[in-house]
Amino acid sequence: MKREVQAILLVLLGAAILRISLFSDTYLRYVREALGPYLIAAGLVLVALGALSAVAALRGSHDEDQDDHQGHEGHGHGEGHSHGPRIAWLLILPVATIFLVSPPALGSYTAQHAASAVAKPDTAARGFPALPAGDPLAMPLAEFDVRALWDTARPLAGRRVKLLGFATPKSGGGWYVTRLVISCCAADAMTYKAEIRGAAAPPAGSWVEVTGVWQPDGQSTQPDAVPALTAAQVVPVPQPRDPYE
Amino acid sequence: MTDQSTIAPDRPSDVAAPSKRRIGSLELLVGGMLVLLAGQYWLGDWLDTPGLQAWATVFVAICVQALPFLVLGTLLSAAITALVPTAFLERALPKRAALAVPVAGLTGAVLPGCECASVPVADGLISRGVAPAAALAFLLSAPAINPVVLTATAVAFPGRPEMVLARFAASLATAVVVGWLWARFGRPEWLRPSVRRAQPTGAGRWTAFRAAFAHEFLHASGFLVVGGITAATLNVVVPRQFLSGLAQLPGVSVLVLALLAVVLAVCSEADAFVAASLSAFPLAARLAFMVVGPMVDVKLVAMQTGTFGWSFAWRFSATTFTVAVAASALAGWWLL
Repeated sequence: MKREVQAILLVLLGAAILRISLFSDTYLRYVREALGPYLIAAGLVLVALGALSAVAALRGSHDEDQDDHQGHEGHGHGEGHSHGPRIAWLLILPVATIFLVSPPALGSYTAQHAASAVAKPDTAARGFPALPAGDPLAMPLAEFDVRALWDTARPLAGRRVKLLGFATPKSGGGWYVTRLVISCCAADAMTYKAEIRGAAAPPAGSWVEVTGVWQPDGQSTQPDAVPALTAAQVVPVPQPRDPYE
Repeated sequence: MTDQSTIAPDRPSDVAAPSKRRIGSLELLVGGMLVLLAGQYWLGDWLDTPGLQAWATVFVAICVQALPFLVLGTLLSAAITALVPTAFLERALPKRAALAVPVAGLTGAVLPGCECASVPVADGLISRGVAPAAALAFLLSAPAINPVVLTATAVAFPGRPEMVLARFAASLATAVVVGWLWARFGRPEWLRPSVRRAQPTGAGRWTAFRAAFAHEFLHASGFLVVGGITAATLNVVVPRQFLSGLAQLPGVSVLVLALLAVVLAVCSEADAFVAASLSAFPLAARLAFMVVGPMVDVKLVAMQTGTFGWSFAWRFSATTFTVAVAASALAGWWLL
């Protein structure tokens, strides 16, 4: 691999990172929001060092030129510094995926194939703080699930809540409003869902805001239970800026 | 630009005489990109399958989240290579490996990054004359016991400070024990010799820094892509229900979560949250998830293979996995 190619790969990779972080919010489909500034910095470093390498390659300083003649057939390891390792060709994959495919945020496919286990929070034994005021109360789906399943004070009983998420079909009829929660990147997404009753299913994957009342049916305090909501209103909404909670 | 004219006569032999050799990498790159651009629509159709889309998202996510740390680690490593004199590191670390290993292990606490950053840094340290055993202890401990990771652990397990302590103790113990094992039983020939040359001086330093960065970064990130492909595939293919079914089996839960950590390749800054969510498993098993994850996972094995060679990577990872599982079981039994 020649120095020019190394430089181009660095610039391409940096540009791909900048495209999803600096020039759009696309990175939120893949990683948590806090990583944004680091992505921009990494993208700038890659573009800058790639550009400098390109300049150096074009000017061909003496030292580097020698290397160019030594090892064009470099096999795997004996390569000198100026010979990019062949493995670096694989960088084309993420770059092409970002520029050409731009994969969407994880959605109903992932939710359908994930185990939905709402972890009992380690603080559950000490009790939960009171729910904030508001009618309907807009709350994160993850919080709704935890409160519905593990809060023995049952603060949700009779409360009107508003949940935001995408629709996932339930096997055997019915549907869930679903939200994925990531802690670092999409690889660690966890699924939270609530079964929606009393409203027709929207198309799978479409985003909705559901207003309704929790419907306790005695199955709580089981980790694999899914709480249910009797919906009064289901409003289609655009996908939020950050698709993950 | 006076260089240009003196160099110019040399260059055409490279560029304008393709008949002498195979198609060059530059031509390959440009051609490949044109093919990709032309095939974009076909590619888009093919990737409409939801499963493949999820795979592509997870793949991009793993690569994207690791890149800032890889850039940071490679910058540090290149800086160590180009700027830090060998004599300094020799003086800073104890002479005897038995002492240098725990010191290096503790030093890991100051590099705030995830595991992707520590592989190139350890390579840089070895190339500057640090004993491999000490550099490897650093490699293992840095992503596991730095303040960012320990804080994340405290946040993920509120009201359980013993979890943070257990993670710190088990991770440091693993790093030091593996370092000692390497000092006692490791053979230099397993560790592929570093390709670095002697440290240049003066004006050559910046060039050396840039060249070291480009080479190491491209090398490591190529293997990161291999790791990303593996991890994304396992992530999409392995059903989580199957794993939680194993949670109830006594005795194997520690091993199950340790293996899950290897397979999932979650970033060490986030694995505490994943561990906290695996509430069906006992605490000792969740501890094993957090101790093994930053030290052994498919992405790391790929990157270590790239940096140090396969004959090193599999021995090192197998040893580390065994020691880490034992240390977590012990710490879990003692502290949790």
